Amino acid sequence: MIGVLSLVFFILLIIVGKERGIKTFITFYLNLFLIMLYLTFINLGMNAIILSIITCVLASFISLFILNGFNKKTLSSFISIIFVLLFVFIIICLISNYSNIQGFSFESVETIGAYSFNINYKMKDVIIGMYLICVIGTIIDTSISISSSMKEINDNNKKITKKELYYSGMNVGNDILNTTINTLFFALVSSFIGFILWHKGYSLEYIINYKSFAQSAIELLIAFIGSILIIPITAYISSIILKRK
Amino acid sequence: MKIRKHINYKLVILIILSIFSIVFVYNDYFLYKTSILKINNIENVYEEDSEFYTQKITGVIKNGKYKDNIITYENKSSYSGVYDEQIHDKSELLLELDSTGKEVIRFVGIKRDKYLVVLIILFINLLLIVTRFKGLKTLFTLFINILISIFSVLLFNQYRTNMNMLLLYIFVSLIFIILSLYIPNGKSKKTLAAILSSIISLFVSFSFSVILIKLFGSDLSIWNMEYMEIVYDYKNFFYVNILLCGLGAIMDIAITISSSLNELIVKNPRISKSSLLKSGKEISKDIIGTMSNVMLYTCFTPIIPTIFLAMRNGVILSRAFSLYGILDLVIVLCSAISIVLSIPISLYVSVLILKGKGGVK
Repeated sequence: MIGVLSLVFFILLIIVGKERGIKTFITFYLNLFLIMLYLTFINLGMNAIILSIITCVLASFISLFILNGFNKKTLSSFISIIFVLLFVFIIICLISNYSNIQGFSFESVETIGAYSFNINYKMKDVIIGMYLICVIGTIIDTSISISSSMKEINDNNKKITKKELYYSGMNVGNDILNTTINTLFFALVSSFIGFILWHKGYSLEYIINYKSFAQSAIELLIAFIGSILIIPITAYISSIILKRK
Repeated sequence: MKIRKHINYKLVILIILSIFSIVFVYNDYFLYKTSILKINNIENVYEEDSEFYTQKITGVIKNGKYKDNIITYENKSSYSGVYDEQIHDKSELLLELDSTGKEVIRFVGIKRDKYLVVLIILFINLLLIVTRFKGLKTLFTLFINILISIFSVLLFNQYRTNMNMLLLYIFVSLIFIILSLYIPNGKSKKTLAAILSSIISLFVSFSFSVILIKLFGSDLSIWNMEYMEIVYDYKNFFYVNILLCGLGAIMDIAITISSSLNELIVKNPRISKSSLLKSGKEISKDIIGTMSNVMLYTCFTPIIPTIFLAMRNGVILSRAFSLYGILDLVIVLCSAISIVLSIPISLYVSVLILKGKGGVK
């Protein structure tokens, strides 16, 4: 099944995107490979948080420098992504430290019931790493869109000042934000729908305090927050780097 | 100067509302029917040679008719925390008490609403401050979409037996498309083009995915998960997943293409259809790259803990992946395919509508 779908995906990409399509296909599978690699390494007992940061940096490296080449706009995106990752990391740590969202809850017992829970590995680290990896895709996407448009604006109008460039970057970002939030919402909405289907007849206070509901909600909110934070940071850093001789 | 004052005024309201909501949710005990235990003391009793331990908890009930009762509760916890709660002194517990109000009948959960509210407030503040309050429309659209999703599930839960989930969600996704494109973009040809392209892309790509799954999907585990049937119609739910997962991305592409083509037409009203198509193809090359990776990272990561648990239990990666990851990968790939398909569809539909008879108004 996966083979057929991949083949269809590949053919469509070539028809629509030509060589750009091939590059997209390669990055898609490199990213999937990266996630598998991440799983292999945390299984060996390495720290999930540190590994997830490395995975995120590698993922942005692949998406930026392989797909778009090494230049001023990808460099400024790369630096901005590192900053946003740092902010998001702090927020995730604070939240998952207090809210007890590690591990599984009742409805997954069919899936995990056969396994030993004595795994000698902190599930809290796994969930922090998961949130970081989840947010990286959308911040790369937003960041590269902003820095590309800012480069276009700068190239077309050499006299533009640093401050004006920053504000046009912010404008571009605000235009994208609406659709980004929409995309993220629909990408994750089915997990909420599935959740409410499962918990038919439960009370509201039970649902909003429930572990796996909190896990999905926090994931969505962290992705939202990441995709907002990337806007001013990319606009600021790009305006500095693009204006440097 | 006037504008600046205006923004500050809004900012003050925003901050007051935010502080109010956070204070409220930290003290909302009176809203709960379940008893809430505020912890005074935790004593951890470790077992020898085991990662499991017992937490002896004492605390005070904060609400209801057992208010101010002192309760002790024992919680089994572990170092890994796979299927238990690691309670710390800042947690508050939801407990069901017996009629004397002294004994715990059932542990309901941990009070997590405050953390969610703090994150929601953080999100709203960042959104409104970064966009200088232009994000209100985004927020409103999001709110409407959440309401529709909740309403649709409740509707389905009510009439489960005689309602087809897939048909319901095909209808709901039409409402999603129309509202989430109309509210932020207003009434214009650009919006119309985006709405039509999204609808056509959705139907083409969804039927395409369904055909592919019917033809080649016999190896998917979804067909032999009978135990799920008791809970809900999981096969149709799988299709609903495919339908909704790429929906946002399809709309994203449709509005990006239709507004950039509209921009080109406004700048040069005499531009020919063929040169419009040509520039459209250039634009689509730029957007084709990153979207599929966004879908991969966002939709695929939630399965990581399950695969990890299986691997820690000695299941090799490829086996764990084909057990728990395959369905999510199918969903991601289907939405990636729908993203790619939606690019030419949006391009042709937009050119047809924006450059149709009457030209641009």
